[in-house]
Amino acid sequence: MSDPVSTLEQFDVDGALRETAAAAFPLTRGELFRLSATAAAAGALGYFGASVEEADAAAAKTENDIAILRFDQTLEYLQAGLYTEAERLGALKPATLGWARIVGAHERAHLRAIENLLGDKALKNPGFDYGGVTSDESAFLKTAVAFEDLTAALLKWQAPRLDSRAIVAAAVSLHSVETRHAAWIRHLVGLEPATTAFDKPASQHKMAQLISSTHFLVARPKVAAKTKPRYTG
Amino acid sequence: MGKPDLISFVGVEGVAVTSAAHNRSSRHPLSRRQLVLRGAAAAAGITAGGAVGLLRNSATALAATPSTEQDRKIFNFALVLEYLQAAFYAEALRQGRLTGEVRHFAEVVAEHERAHVEYLRKALGAQARERPRFDFGDATRDEKSFLKAAVTLENTGVVAYNGQAANLTKPALAAAAEIVSVEGRHAAWVSDLAGQAPAPRAADVGQSAAEVLATLQSTRFLQST
Repeated sequence: MSDPVSTLEQFDVDGALRETAAAAFPLTRGELFRLSATAAAAGALGYFGASVEEADAAAAKTENDIAILRFDQTLEYLQAGLYTEAERLGALKPATLGWARIVGAHERAHLRAIENLLGDKALKNPGFDYGGVTSDESAFLKTAVAFEDLTAALLKWQAPRLDSRAIVAAAVSLHSVETRHAAWIRHLVGLEPATTAFDKPASQHKMAQLISSTHFLVARPKVAAKTKPRYTG
Repeated sequence: MGKPDLISFVGVEGVAVTSAAHNRSSRHPLSRRQLVLRGAAAAAGITAGGAVGLLRNSATALAATPSTEQDRKIFNFALVLEYLQAAFYAEALRQGRLTGEVRHFAEVVAEHERAHVEYLRKALGAQARERPRFDFGDATRDEKSFLKAAVTLENTGVVAYNGQAANLTKPALAAAAEIVSVEGRHAAWVSDLAGQAPAPRAADVGQSAAEVLATLQSTRFLQST
């Protein structure tokens, strides 16, 4: 087989795109080498953080994109908290805990990535009360399947509604991981992992309904209450 | 085994770059500077991260602005993958060596991949590329080889779609998202069946078409256009 570099040049379906990129950057040779070194590092890492930090630097965020990212941030707080608490309590079956440990780490990584994208527009953790779901095998599985399936559907709804192409590139890299989580947990509980050739989107309204139905989002979290001034009248 | 003609296989602007690269020393040699420019741009475009890295410097770097013409190229590129996947599962089922849940997986997923092919062909209309010829060797005749190949094909499908998402128009992105979602589910499912991590990373960073084609080439499944 030919060497990797010429392979990449030869089978370059993005040729037009790269030609455009090259033409658009009358950079010095040194600058181009630095760029390609950065890209190679990002590829070697293969890790979301790298691409999102790049996107962060690049993206001119619209109000629309900020609103979408804030919705996702809240959802990631909920999921990361749910799985992390399950892992900490350790009351679930080993296979379920194994899933929670890995998926919890992913959701925490997603949370950090979204925080990086939002910068000073990021929200504080609203605080959740999982009401025993994190130590109840059956309730946990049911909740996890519902959230993973609907999160995947939500990200499909959001993707074409994002303005920034850099944020689109980042968001889709999370989307497919959510579909993996969904298929994996479904497989774990004995449900068909993939039930249709086309997964339909679901709106933020639908997700808000699911969150509301769980009562996880407490109106007045204890942590926040402590910081509020007391009025004794 | 004949070497597939991936150049005509790709069939879009890559051809221009390719012929120029092949003729470096002949009639129209590229200047050293041009080669450096192209090499650096190609290297920088390997991953979505790389593309975004370029974007830091200019909004035009991700790709040409999305257009229906660009959608067509990307859909035709995706169609290669879908043809390949559909043919792979169909042949594996014809060979009849799969058992249990692996067989069930192949039956379900074969149906999905056929539906993806039909969707893309319909969307492309007369512009749809023809189905290439494939040779899957032992990968469809042995359950272990089947699982290994299926994991590669499904993971490749995911990063191929992800790598093009930001290059699509909004309606095309909406459609592609419905497909890649199912590819992600297939990837997780078959990885679990193969004893591999269903979700090995926190993000499925997209790959360029060039990188995807390099992976496909490494399978030696592609025989011709």
